[in-house]
Amino acid sequence: MSETATRGLRGHIEVKNFSLSYESIDGAVQAVTDTQIHVRPGEFVSIVGPSGCGKSTLLNAVAGFLKPSTGIVTVDGERVNGPSAERGMVFQQYSLFPWKTVRENVEFGLKMRGMPRSQRERAARTLLGLAGLEAFEKHYPEKLSGGMKQRVGIVRALATGPKVLLLDEPFGALDAQTRVIMQQILTNMWQRLKISVLFVTHDIDEAIFLSDRVYCMTARPGSVKAEIPIPLERPRQQSMMMTSEFLALRRGLMSLIREESLKAMGGEISDLGMQGLNIDLHGQSLAEVL
Amino acid sequence: MLSSPERNAQAATIADTDTPPVVTTSAADPSFAALAARWYRLNRGRLRALAIGIVSLLAFLMVWHLLTTYRVVLFVRFVNVPSPLAVYASLDKAIHDPKFLLHILLSCRRILIGFSFAAIVAVPLGLIMGRFKLAHEVIFPVAEVLRPIPAIAWVPMAIMLWPTNEQSIVFITFLGSFFPILVNTLHGMSLVDPVLVRAAQCLGARERSIFREVYFPASLPHIFTGLTVGMGVAWVSLIAAEMISGQYGIGYFTWEAYSLVQYPDIALGMIAIGVLGLGSSLIIRGVGQLVMPWRST
Repeated sequence: MSETATRGLRGHIEVKNFSLSYESIDGAVQAVTDTQIHVRPGEFVSIVGPSGCGKSTLLNAVAGFLKPSTGIVTVDGERVNGPSAERGMVFQQYSLFPWKTVRENVEFGLKMRGMPRSQRERAARTLLGLAGLEAFEKHYPEKLSGGMKQRVGIVRALATGPKVLLLDEPFGALDAQTRVIMQQILTNMWQRLKISVLFVTHDIDEAIFLSDRVYCMTARPGSVKAEIPIPLERPRQQSMMMTSEFLALRRGLMSLIREESLKAMGGEISDLGMQGLNIDLHGQSLAEVL
Repeated sequence: MLSSPERNAQAATIADTDTPPVVTTSAADPSFAALAARWYRLNRGRLRALAIGIVSLLAFLMVWHLLTTYRVVLFVRFVNVPSPLAVYASLDKAIHDPKFLLHILLSCRRILIGFSFAAIVAVPLGLIMGRFKLAHEVIFPVAEVLRPIPAIAWVPMAIMLWPTNEQSIVFITFLGSFFPILVNTLHGMSLVDPVLVRAAQCLGARERSIFREVYFPASLPHIFTGLTVGMGVAWVSLIAAEMISGQYGIGYFTWEAYSLVQYPDIALGMIAIGVLGLGSSLIIRGVGQLVMPWRST
């Protein structure tokens, strides 16, 4: 793996003056507004925020699936305009090709690059070995558990040696125990490969446990509310989640997000919740109305 | 009614068959008897279905036999209906008759040509229409206008269109299978998971590879549904076309048997059509399992 040495210098993501809006029947909807984020080479950065804040929108723009309305997204100074194998992505829905075996899934990116069959088979076996999946190389994804599927998804995204790895709530559909194991596996892989990671999640513990830095986004239209460095030492252990340092970070992020979540739900709360569901019965009793 | 001891004996035997046979689960290599017993336990449901299926078919033959030998008239008249034995006799004669085999062979050839053409045209057309909006917008309205016309309604037009009778029959078969294949392929394309397309793009796949590696395999299950339905309609259309305008073919054979008062041959033709239809749909299913190994459990 001679590439690993150079990889540390690659993968600088920059998002500048970013905003994104789309047309709807009620007029233009502002999904993300005036956002700046960056990921340094080899850094692990998470984006957290209330649901619908546009964090996935931002990630999809970095991947090249969405074009910014204003602003610019660059990776290593090159402008992103369309998806490419330079930016590997892992989706929440497992997104493995059901008609390909585990190994064929991992090989896919190499095949697209035109690598000869025997060579890519060997590469895929090595990668699957690292993820502890070599015994399942001939299985079809349908037969795998959720955690295994997502491990294959991560390995597949890494197989082509991308500059950055983008993950869109990759563990959101997993049960709590599996999620913890997957987080450990992901940090291990990241430490070994020293690849830049941009990770979107709504799970605060997950963001703190994994990241060097966390961006917290505001409610829609989304923008960066706060940028929180995570000074916890590496390698991270599960036991750290009980330390006062971790809990302080958690408390801080929690209050930031709660504020935004309440803002996001503000309309509903003032209309219904706060007014205590005032129903005009026109002078009749409830029993009469019913 | 059974007397009570007899009933008890019967209950006992039922209970016996219901209790699973005892299997020694010792790790040391299991005896043949133990293996057989385990196989029996695992396949009991299937064996039961098979046994009941055979009994049911025998019952059907028996009823047929009784209705025809006693020439029952219950509003429906079985007076001229051939008995199973008569049909068997004519089958025995027919399989040694090269003309009968020629009928079958020609029908199979017409199906093969008509259906293959339909598949070769309809599957790519459906894939293209599913991928490119303009192709869909141009072709879909025409297809929707032509689709509800049953293939049999095309018979006079087909005779005008094609120089030979043979070609017009193949054309009818083609038409019959064309639309089910097209519609199902389109349906398959519309259900392709966009996340898989994005995943492929993120791994460096270009338009052509995405088409070959994502859209096509993702649509395959629906394409095969279309092929199965299309094969069924192809036989329906073929038999009708042969009865109207054929000189050979199993449909013509069946109709001719009626004209020539060869009543056992009518049933023989019907059974042959059923067997051929069943066989061809089994072939498609087999090919489907071969092409889509990820779907067979």
